[in-house]
Amino acid sequence: MKNRLIVSVSPHLHKDESISKIMWMVVISLIPAGVAGVFIFGQGALWVILLGIVSALITEWIIQLFTKRRVSILDGSAFLTGLLLAYNLPPKVPFWLPILGSVFAIAIGKQVFGGLGQNIFNPALVGRVFLMASWPKYMTTFTKPLNYDAITSATPLAALKEGKVLEHISHWNLFWGIRGGCIGEVCIFALLLGALFLFIRGYISWHIPITYIFVVGLFTYIFGSKSVFTPLEMSTAQSGIARFLTGFSGDWLFHILSGGLILGAFFMATDYVTTPLTRKGQIIFGMGCGLITAIIRLWGGYPEGVSYAILMMNAATPIIDRYTKNRIYGTK
Amino acid sequence: MKKFLNEFLKGIIKENPTFVLVLGLCPTLAVSVSVINGIGMGIAATFVLLGSNIIISLMRNIIPARIRIPCFIVVIATFVTITELVMKAYSPALNRALGIYVPLIVVNCIVLGRAEAYAQKARVINSLFDGLGMGVGFTLALILISGIREFLGAGKILGYTLFKGFEPAFVLGMPSGALLVIGLLLGFFNILKNRRT
Amino acid sequence: MNTAQFLTIFISAVFLYNVILSRFLGLCSFVAISRETKPAMAMSLAVMFVTIMSSIITWFIYRFLLIPFELTYLRTISFILVIATFVQFVEMVIRKISPPLYRFFGIYLPLITVNCAVLGVAVLNIDMFFTNSKAIPGSFYYSVFQGICVGLGYALAMLLMSGIRERLDLCDVPKAVKDFPLAFIIASVMSLSFLGFNGFRF
Repeated sequence: MKNRLIVSVSPHLHKDESISKIMWMVVISLIPAGVAGVFIFGQGALWVILLGIVSALITEWIIQLFTKRRVSILDGSAFLTGLLLAYNLPPKVPFWLPILGSVFAIAIGKQVFGGLGQNIFNPALVGRVFLMASWPKYMTTFTKPLNYDAITSATPLAALKEGKVLEHISHWNLFWGIRGGCIGEVCIFALLLGALFLFIRGYISWHIPITYIFVVGLFTYIFGSKSVFTPLEMSTAQSGIARFLTGFSGDWLFHILSGGLILGAFFMATDYVTTPLTRKGQIIFGMGCGLITAIIRLWGGYPEGVSYAILMMNAATPIIDRYTKNRIYGTK
Repeated sequence: MKKFLNEFLKGIIKENPTFVLVLGLCPTLAVSVSVINGIGMGIAATFVLLGSNIIISLMRNIIPARIRIPCFIVVIATFVTITELVMKAYSPALNRALGIYVPLIVVNCIVLGRAEAYAQKARVINSLFDGLGMGVGFTLALILISGIREFLGAGKILGYTLFKGFEPAFVLGMPSGALLVIGLLLGFFNILKNRRT
Repeated sequence: MNTAQFLTIFISAVFLYNVILSRFLGLCSFVAISRETKPAMAMSLAVMFVTIMSSIITWFIYRFLLIPFELTYLRTISFILVIATFVQFVEMVIRKISPPLYRFFGIYLPLITVNCAVLGVAVLNIDMFFTNSKAIPGSFYYSVFQGICVGLGYALAMLLMSGIRERLDLCDVPKAVKDFPLAFIIASVMSLSFLGFNGFRF
């Protein structure tokens, strides 16, 4: 019986939208990526997606019952969290992994803050890093694409990190999703279709995703290695800053197309609740994400840094919001 | 007599150093990975707390207020050294397990915290029970936290693996997991507290 | 002395191995004082001052007292005494300058003494910038700079946390987790995200 009467200060804007509608629109925009993922990795991927979604819904339902808040599982946000979490998982994981991930994502990533609108961190990513820290073995075992026997293979970024060479990966392969990776992140084409839909309908703005992707591309161009075929060489002969100046030849297209960057930039770094309100703040957010992602990819211990980057910038969002406040009408 | 009992019990529940006063987190996070380590650290810290509280309370009228912190440190460091030597002699395995955190009891917020907030103003007998209560409270908190972390994070209790097919969540062995466990336990205790009122 | 080393120290101390979020030192004051930004920044300033000064003094003590007289095993206890003295000094100053702030900090001001971050950076300086009981070239400057950067890293974590908590203060969080439990959970998620910096190799 808590949130019946909402009193807020004018001006009030009336739009045809509700939170529910937006959430379900995002879900719809993600369907092509899911279909592609299941097609590329097989039926197991479908189970992961279903388990993720159902666990998220049930967890939210139970917690809202227990804390005597309005049960809102039909507003699409829990569905979306479960879906996004599943998209961030490898296709061949034990059945309990997406379940525990969704439970953690909804419980700790969202409900403990008081529910939708109050969470600081992107719930799906909270679930993902929890799983990554808890069961790294399962979270880093990927399967070969278009091979329904589920033979393991490495992702392009992982191969790059270890200095190995993947001969048969071309940029085209990356674009269509013919590579190892997480269920919803591989098919760039499908993801871009969904993102286009959201752009056209005005549900997301370009500031964060374009800034994010641009910074990653720029940074990896300047500091990255020639291409995926020649692993990053740290020149130990040169000392100091000179080491970093041998760049301007990085394979930026490879970096943009691989890993979870497209999925993260368009669908997770654009989440209204956990990202800054103003355009200036959003650009800062996008730049921060891009910088951290690129740095982790190039020099960190992990092959991919998108989830960590977005979560770190989520933490910085309240501060960014405070210092990029719009001028209140009538004041100096 | 009842007053002393209250003094003692306050350290266990109402003013539990870990859950209520929020002190001594660094060693708690690091040491609570297994129950044995938790118990060992708890006992060592209790001894130091007891000793330092008593001595500081005894000397409370002699120590000048302006330089009290360094003086407290000297007293605490003495007891920590005694503890360290005794542990090295009689329980070298535990000493190795606790590693750097034994000498770091010197910087355990609980010990200096109690000296500053209590022992320098209270009588010896009160300080004795306060120290004892705080130490026991700290130990119990450590046992609770490390029990959860060891079971869910490593699949063991006191070193014994319980279930065979159980896949432990490694995050609980990390400090992030410890922070999570403490936060959730605190929330749980709050629920119990709210339910009672 | 080369610039790359300074850059490495800066990036490591502030971001990669942030003293609170990656090394988990200084947590007591982090969870207790980070509710509002102003006091959080004041505490960060106090901590930074103590880390810088103690980096300087402990370096001298180690280099000119402990090593020549072969008393390096007294490292921990001598460092802690230095820090304790400094915190006492800072406490006197704050008490004079701003009594409300002094009362607000309460017990957490003397607790900077036992703030693991402060002792931690002093010990870290020794471990990183002395080999085989000899100071590496530029050791003093690196140590002081690291003291500054650790203070900055502490301030960064405090800034982020206080921003988050101030925002959550305006929200309707479940009663059971209000304040401390939520602060711990936030710290947990923040440190989970900082795991991304593990295994760094320049």
